[in-house]
Amino acid sequence: MGNKRYGMLYDSNACIGCQACSIACRAENKVHDDVHRLQVRIEGPKGEFPNLRMDFHRQSCVMCDNAPCVPVCPTGASYTNEEGINMVDEKKCVGCGYCITACPYQARYLDPKTGTADKCTFCYENRIKPGEKPACVSICPTNALIFGDLNDPNSGICQAIKKQATIKYKELLHTNPKLIVIPNRHGGEK
Amino acid sequence: MDQIWGNTTQYTEIVWGWQIAVYLFLAGLSAGALISAILVKWRSNLSAGYDGIMKAGAVIALPAISLGLALLVFDLGKPFSFWLLMFHFNLKSVMSIGVILLSVYSGLMTVFAAVIFKKEFAENSLTAWAFRPFLFIIEWFEGLGKWFDWVMVVLAIGIAAYTGFLLSALVAKPLLNVPVLPLLFLISGISSGIAGSIAVSVIFFKQSVQESNLKYLLSFDTKLIPTELFILFVMFIGLFNMGGQYAIVGQQALTIGIWAKVFWAGIVGIGLLGPLLVITLSLHQYEESDHAPIPVGALLVNSGLVLTGVILLRFYMLYAGQTFI
Ligand code: SF4
Ligand code: SF4
Ligand code: SF4
Repeated sequence: MGNKRYGMLYDSNACIGCQACSIACRAENKVHDDVHRLQVRIEGPKGEFPNLRMDFHRQSCVMCDNAPCVPVCPTGASYTNEEGINMVDEKKCVGCGYCITACPYQARYLDPKTGTADKCTFCYENRIKPGEKPACVSICPTNALIFGDLNDPNSGICQAIKKQATIKYKELLHTNPKLIVIPNRHGGEK
Repeated sequence: MDQIWGNTTQYTEIVWGWQIAVYLFLAGLSAGALISAILVKWRSNLSAGYDGIMKAGAVIALPAISLGLALLVFDLGKPFSFWLLMFHFNLKSVMSIGVILLSVYSGLMTVFAAVIFKKEFAENSLTAWAFRPFLFIIEWFEGLGKWFDWVMVVLAIGIAAYTGFLLSALVAKPLLNVPVLPLLFLISGISSGIAGSIAVSVIFFKQSVQESNLKYLLSFDTKLIPTELFILFVMFIGLFNMGGQYAIVGQQALTIGIWAKVFWAGIVGIGLLGPLLVITLSLHQYEESDHAPIPVGALLVNSGLVLTGVILLRFYMLYAGQTFI
């Protein structure tokens, strides 16, 4: 039995952009009012009539396997835990901002209150450890989010990935995110 | 009005602001001033005392790096936790390597300045009591001669270049993620250090400045300026050739908004073509002539232009680099 490697599948076709996930995240993780760990952006309309489309984009940490935010951290406050989740050790963080500039997904921010770097953790301490799912996954009214172990071929997330084409954001950068996305199938190709 | 998904300020905000831009400038200035002091040292007859340019170099290099460090610390999200940086190292992080370099550099820089002003400090009644107990350490370093100089030169090159590696390590920022950035920062840092040293030496230490040294540095700086222009050319052509987001960002940085203006008018115009013009029209005659008086005015104008260009280059790279992504 190897380590777990947690990932999340986001179906942008099922998503309706309701922001319930973002609100749940804020409540669960006591995110400061001025910042977000998670937003769902509605992009469009794109294309030409009648083949118009609206794309939904989950803006959050994508949990890179090769996370650019980790090696740059001068104190080791940014680290990857044994279950593949990239975390910040608030006590070791000096708030230099290097990880924030290094993240290609604009996922991080300096917490206005503590002055330390923060971001989505898949609710690791508060929900994953006790065996629950991340807050966004639990609240989503359309089941657009599936959470699970990417190392377990029988997990719900692996089964779902096998059934359909998926993408990862900014794949060219070789960060290999564990947030996996089912891209929009509706509307024109542009 | 916010969109339904909320405020997006955090996604457009500049993470590293003016403090870091000024720090990048000061680190390069300090390293450059030290390098010019040592270059002058190597070609002077030291029995006549230290050249005014060396004194100017020390007077710039130490305060510049100290002020830079202060800016760096107070820009942290948790300024009073800066000591953590000294207890947890991560050699994969350019910033952590920078912390090590900066500690050694600023310590030895203090010694270097003390060596150059040994006579002044030891003889002045205000400083002598505090200075004399350390005299044996200072003289030990002085006795190392060229060895000490070389260590300082290597450290200075390290300081100027690491500020470039710090930014070029950022895969997320195409304008900064280019291999020539450390070289650009090194060359422009040395250029700013020479300009600063020349200005300070002709204002404060004019009696002890040897004109042959002054002319030597001036002609050295004259070669650095076209080199910088060429590196900028290589950098942007490289960005275009890399294609994709690199090409898009390269084009945006040269054409859009305030930062494009800063680049063309500030960096290329004021900072590089300006000094070339002053040198061709006025300072060149001085370099060639054996008995012309030191043209203080033209030298100060020239130094002012170079320094303005170099500081604008740091602001441009940092701000445009974080804006166009
Ligand atoms: S809660 Fe679900 S449907 Fe609503 S925005 Fe988030 S992912 Fe989309
Ligand atoms: S998305 Fe950004 S914060 Fe998240 S793991 Fe990747 S680099 Fe780090
Ligand atoms: S802000 Fe904190 S976590 Fe990020 S690189 Fe600096 S010390 Fe590390």
